[in-house]
Amino acid sequence: MIKAVMVINTQGKPRLAKFYDFLTVDKQQELIRSVFGVLCSRAENVSNFMEADSIFGPDSRLVYKHYATLYFVFVFDTCENELAVLDLIQVFVETLDKCFRNVCELDIVFNYSKLHTILDEIVFGGQVLETSSAEIMKAVEEISKLEASSNSITLVPKTVSGWRNR
Amino acid sequence: MALSGMRGLSVFISDIRNCPNKDQERLRVDKELGNIRTRFKNEKGLTPYEKKKYVWKMLYIYMLGYDVDFGHMEAVSLISAPKYPEKQVGYIVTSSLLNENHDFLRLAINTVRNDIIGRNETFQCLALTMVGNIGGREFAESLAADVQKLLISSSCRPLVRKKAALCLLRLYRKNPDVVNIDGWVDRMAQLLDERDIGVLTSSMSLLVALVSNNHEAYWSCLPKCVKVLERLARNQDIPQEYTYYGIPSPWLQVKAMRALQYFPTIEDPNCRRSLFEVLQRILMGTDVVKNVNKNNAAHAVLFEALALVMHLDAEKEMMSQCVALLGKFIAVREPNIRYLGLENMTRMLMVTDVQDSIKRHQAQIITSLKDPDISIRRRALDLLYGMCDISNAKDIVEELLQYLSTADFAMREELSLKAAILAEKFAPDLSWYVDVILQLIDKAGDFVSDDIWFRVVQFVTNNEDLQPYAAAKAREYLDKPAIHETMVKVSAYLLGEFSHLLARRPGCSPKEIFIIIHEKLPTVSTSTIPILLSTYAKILMHTQPPDPELQNQIWAIFNKYESCIDAEIQQRAVEYFALSRKGAAVMDILAEMPKFPERQSALIKKAEVAEVDSADQSAIKLRAQQQTSNALVVTDQHSANGPPPTVPAVGPLTLVKVPSTSGNAEHTSEGQALTQPNGTLTKIDPQTPSEDLLGDLLGPLAIEGPPGAAVQPQQNAVSEVGGVPSAVDGAAIVPVGEYSNSVQPIGNINERFYALCLKDSGVLYEDPYIQIGIKAEWRAQHGHLVLFLGNKNTSPLDSVQALVLPPAHLKMELSLVPETIPPRAQVQCPLEVLNLRPSRDVAVLDFSYKFGECEASPSSSSEQISSAYISVCRRVLSSMEISFRPPLKLQEVVRGVRPLPLAEMANLFNSFRLMICPGLDPNPNNLVASTTFYSESTRAMLCLIRIETDPADRTQLRMTVASGDPMLTFELKEFMKEQLVSIPTAPHGPTAPPTPPVAQVAQPTSPVKALTDPGAMLAAEWSFEDFGLVTRKKSVNGSFLVLVMDGQSLASFRPNNKAEPNK
Repeated sequence: MIKAVMVINTQGKPRLAKFYDFLTVDKQQELIRSVFGVLCSRAENVSNFMEADSIFGPDSRLVYKHYATLYFVFVFDTCENELAVLDLIQVFVETLDKCFRNVCELDIVFNYSKLHTILDEIVFGGQVLETSSAEIMKAVEEISKLEASSNSITLVPKTVSGWRNR
Repeated sequence: MALSGMRGLSVFISDIRNCPNKDQERLRVDKELGNIRTRFKNEKGLTPYEKKKYVWKMLYIYMLGYDVDFGHMEAVSLISAPKYPEKQVGYIVTSSLLNENHDFLRLAINTVRNDIIGRNETFQCLALTMVGNIGGREFAESLAADVQKLLISSSCRPLVRKKAALCLLRLYRKNPDVVNIDGWVDRMAQLLDERDIGVLTSSMSLLVALVSNNHEAYWSCLPKCVKVLERLARNQDIPQEYTYYGIPSPWLQVKAMRALQYFPTIEDPNCRRSLFEVLQRILMGTDVVKNVNKNNAAHAVLFEALALVMHLDAEKEMMSQCVALLGKFIAVREPNIRYLGLENMTRMLMVTDVQDSIKRHQAQIITSLKDPDISIRRRALDLLYGMCDISNAKDIVEELLQYLSTADFAMREELSLKAAILAEKFAPDLSWYVDVILQLIDKAGDFVSDDIWFRVVQFVTNNEDLQPYAAAKAREYLDKPAIHETMVKVSAYLLGEFSHLLARRPGCSPKEIFIIIHEKLPTVSTSTIPILLSTYAKILMHTQPPDPELQNQIWAIFNKYESCIDAEIQQRAVEYFALSRKGAAVMDILAEMPKFPERQSALIKKAEVAEVDSADQSAIKLRAQQQTSNALVVTDQHSANGPPPTVPAVGPLTLVKVPSTSGNAEHTSEGQALTQPNGTLTKIDPQTPSEDLLGDLLGPLAIEGPPGAAVQPQQNAVSEVGGVPSAVDGAAIVPVGEYSNSVQPIGNINERFYALCLKDSGVLYEDPYIQIGIKAEWRAQHGHLVLFLGNKNTSPLDSVQALVLPPAHLKMELSLVPETIPPRAQVQCPLEVLNLRPSRDVAVLDFSYKFGECEASPSSSSEQISSAYISVCRRVLSSMEISFRPPLKLQEVVRGVRPLPLAEMANLFNSFRLMICPGLDPNPNNLVASTTFYSESTRAMLCLIRIETDPADRTQLRMTVASGDPMLTFELKEFMKEQLVSIPTAPHGPTAPPTPPVAQVAQPTSPVKALTDPGAMLAAEWSFEDFGLVTRKKSVNGSFLVLVMDGQSLASFRPNNKAEPNK
């Protein structure tokens, strides 16, 4: 079972944190901090695995992938295959990329709700729900359509300053 | 695709991003939360869009780490809204903010059920997602049947069905009874025929959960799993969108193989054949390729196939193929594959008959110990540890030893423990074992626990053949220039016991042995000295015929330590001295130690326990403990005005000696009531000889006389001798009771205390289990001290109690000390101090803890209570600034001062924050210092001190102290006298107790009389009695400017900078 999904930027700021077991807010923050503490000390070109026993308890595993300014982190137990989870991170990122066209950190920051919707179509209650990014996109678009039909929703450009000064 | 977003949310996020610091962020968040609260309260004008916007803001705030505890009710009620947008909002919040035990959830069950059985697929998806994320037992009971129906329904879209499958999995985990096995097995098998890969993947996850609980019921699903594998891996019968970098859904393949691993064997030969065909294809057909993602996916499948082969215990042919593959993997460039290769090899060790093929890769595994990635290094260490046996122990242990000197600090302790265990378990001969352990101590002494050297001593004691060898080795190590203290301990012990076996060898005569061991004495801590004393006693005993010169030397040492502050050392010194004087009559007592009873190695036992316990001792748990203790400390800080936390009675052990609190400072306070005979205290200590290793080693050496009468007189004698130093040192630190046999403070408490008088932070006390540090900050008469209690061990310290006994002039508030200090954790306990009036009395910290050890004799695992008392004191004067006013001035000639160069004395004064004012006194042999003293009664009080030294005789000086308060003057003078006489750097317990200062009668002298004295004249001239305050200002260029504060400047001078303080 996947225990947690986190997206943390290279400064340690959480961009997405989803825990599939209930944890208090403080605990969540602490875990994010400790994960980041270890992550940022790891060199490039080392494995994508990190000892997580000391942070999440025995038999937990942690796989992460570093893209530009973001770390994508999945924490899970022994029931999952490490490399398969690593592939899942790749699927998640590829889907984001399709959704935002050349995704960057700002897309993720400002489209926080979208990120959640996408993740919910990939991981469901700690289990892998869908692995095909085409299928994921289909589901997400369906939801967007439903939302759009009931609200007028504006486009959020990548730079906020443009419309803030209007 | 169009980006849909919410402008309000984006504005809020960018506001948060623009916050320069955490405080600003909190302000912004609070403002937003207030806004959301009001908007939700007047629900009227809130459109669904706005609601959604606020909800996402709340979720964003929640992610930032703020509690969002309102709106639960609103959220839950939104679930029942008829329209999609509102319902969506309700479900999103509910599943993100609530947990399964939340009461509000119960209210929603019916609505959720209606959504699930309703015809609206989007509603079904929303409801399933929420239940799948937070559904609990109650949901399981009322919804499982409906969810099952959705899953097998032919009319539902795959999108809904895959969610239903995982939702059912969640409900099954919460309550396994909700899946009726008889009815469900066939359905499950049918589900595995599903064509839609999304639904199939989810169903496979469900199957894994079901078979992991009860594989027998689901036999019929086994061939289906094989079929799925065949379909994917052999036929590649899969829609394009489900291939990932050309590999047919690696996740589904992995899941299917996972499910197969829960069945013990495969009986049907056809099925087995087809499976092995597929596995063979996977094993052979996977190559390391350039594309990282493709590589990962292919190897995900491959490693799962390896695991399945291992599980099915295939023909040996396939197994060795697997080992060969793994051997290839651990040498590839791709770090992930190396990592998993090592991990799987470790797993493979459990399969019989492959050890030999794994051993072929030993060299490569050893290379992995030097991998740049610590994750890989750890795997390599695990693997080496696991694959070690009698045939390769020598090589592996030697590699580990070599690696030890370059390994990361994070790994060293584990590494040395593992090396020690392997050496013990697989030693081809015992002398090799001794070599390894001694090397281990030599290379990584800091990381070698006591257990390790205790064990080597046991081995040597129990094996006579080994004794000369071990003694000779120990002798060799002593020749090295700098050796670790543990090495001093073990070699001293071994040589004490067995050096007589070497007597004929060159350089090994008793005298030479004694000299080389004694050389190490100044470098070791208090905990080692008792072992050295025992060694001396043994050497003396073994020297036949007696060598009078050696005897005198050793007796001199015993004499010296008879007055040692450390009770253990003191007792040994006295007893050995008495015993060795008696000569041959009592020789038997000092004869060689008897053999130790055979017992399981505490080390191996510890390793076993650690393996079993690793589940319990999880860091998360430890962290949790740590958290609670921090919380305790924090909460107590707030109750600073309350009474000091109640400290439960600790029985007779808490007997504490309070330093004489002389409220009346005119009376000589020293030497009074401080000499409680040690004898009485010893009796109170209920310590029984412990059964653990330490007890075995140290106990008998300490010659335990019959309790009571026989020992009593000796101890009284000790206290008579020790009376004087304790009177002198007593004010500083009071040895309260004997330290129990096993807890030896590290370092000299007294010295530590003196050192702390000179600085604001440092270590107050240390023993093998705990370290207490202190940090102080003073603002006028208010002090803020923090005690740092650090557990040095890997197991928690229990029943921790700390009580501060303040002297009358100090008001102290110690916040509650947590009862348990988690392993290797440090707890901070703030201590607030208010100085009421001048006094030299010190506060005492009474500290005790319990260290539960389960080790040693298999028959009884005894829990050992060790209590250590430290009397801690904060000499308030030391951290106060002092200055003066002369109505009351005291003068005294102090003799017996430790000679100090003037510059050093100036430094000492400065470190007491008595600022030297150079240039005030024309005589270069004199020092003048000033400071401001703060207390409740005196407020800011200026003090002046003048020291006139005699260049001909540095052991005496005349000290003049003046301030506006008679008590302050007296106390300051006494304090300085103490400091100058028993200079802090002086080692404790030199041959004779420091001569008490021969004080001239210190009488307040009248101002008139004082004027005849040049110092007084100076002082009087400098700040006239009638004037109030003298302050000292540090000007920009660092020189001093002294002003009299009646408005007009009387004196200002800029001395030359040669004695610039603190620069």
